[in-house]
Amino acid sequence: MSRFEPRDAERERYFIQRRQTHSARSFASIVAAVLVALICLYFMFEAALKSIGQDVWLKSPGQWWSWIAALPGDAGAGLVGAGSLVLLLLGLFFVLQGLLPGRKARRAIENDRAIVIIDHEVLASTLARRARTEANVSPEQVMVAVAHAHVDVQVRPTSGIPVDADAIRAAVADELAENLIDPVPPVTVRVADTGVVGQ
Amino acid sequence: MNQTPRGLNRTLLILIGVLFALTGLHGLLLVALPAYAGGWHEVALDVTAGVESVLAATTLPGQRDSWLWIVVALVLIAVVLLLAGWISVQGRGRTGVFARGEDPAARYDGVSTPGAVSLSAAVPEQVMRAALAGRSDLVSVSVSTWEPVAFGRDDDAAWRGDGAGLQIKVQPRLGAGPRRIAEDIAESVRQMDRALGQQGPVVIHLASGARTRMSRAERVR
Repeated sequence: MSRFEPRDAERERYFIQRRQTHSARSFASIVAAVLVALICLYFMFEAALKSIGQDVWLKSPGQWWSWIAALPGDAGAGLVGAGSLVLLLLGLFFVLQGLLPGRKARRAIENDRAIVIIDHEVLASTLARRARTEANVSPEQVMVAVAHAHVDVQVRPTSGIPVDADAIRAAVADELAENLIDPVPPVTVRVADTGVVGQ
Repeated sequence: MNQTPRGLNRTLLILIGVLFALTGLHGLLLVALPAYAGGWHEVALDVTAGVESVLAATTLPGQRDSWLWIVVALVLIAVVLLLAGWISVQGRGRTGVFARGEDPAARYDGVSTPGAVSLSAAVPEQVMRAALAGRSDLVSVSVSTWEPVAFGRDDDAAWRGDGAGLQIKVQPRLGAGPRRIAEDIAESVRQMDRALGQQGPVVIHLASGARTRMSRAERVR
């Protein structure tokens, strides 16, 4: 990146990193576009029939308007209410999709050549491996969930063999630091009361 | 990189969402509050009268309907085309050219030959795929090339000497150390930079997927 000013390289890195860790809202956009396009296509068809003096297909725009103007009218309160509720919820869904940040379950780690993005699931499996080595249990006995601000480790000990929660917490925190997760999120280790039969 | 217009997506989603929500709210109020419905019927009657007078004024003599319907149909076609355009720009930004350049000093003078050199996107993609092919800690590797967004550069993106953006998406085996994989891949990228003499932004994405869950876990390392 010879021709980059340092500031531009910094901005580009931040921009690309943000694009990788946040949703583009493509799915909601496509749904919204298809819905609005279908409504427009229908009314375009009726308007076109009207403009060339043909008979209407379902209802003319004028008939639609008088139906809307007379609502709830003879359409039945239940049906109109249900339809309105669906519209309201759909609208709220679109608004929330537009407003919420839409963070994906991924995070970026430091690297001097590339922008490195790690899915939380990949990180969780690494932490689970470390935790189970530390606790000396089988893979099925450890479950790790990684969120943006904390890491949750659940261990079911083998019956009769106690596990040291603090040691597991320290090991998991060490593994996080080892993988350049900065800052290291707080780690919660929960040891189940009931053990499983050793394997 | 991926050039989905995110600001546009969010703006239009909020706009369409507010329209849908207001329509839904209006419908619910019509059902729930008779007083609100009465007010609406009065307003609607006024609007009907207004629209009918406009339609009557725009009906040409001898015609059955107003020419405004043609305008309405054309406007709706335009809206539908714009929406189709909006859908088509989702996920845009892939490119088939990694780098392209020409020597500005070279002119046809009988000695040197002017011309342009372009590296296809397949070059870095295959280099990276070959470099990562032998790794047992990766379940799958996919590399794609993206047009980078220009920052603080006034030259044409397609003709600047720098490389396009590369996205290297790998699925590590369960339990494999992400930092080590990322640093190994970054080292391969540096070797490729030296070999090609061109470089662009690189994204290394350690992803999880169905294939990682189905395959057996990493045993060593």
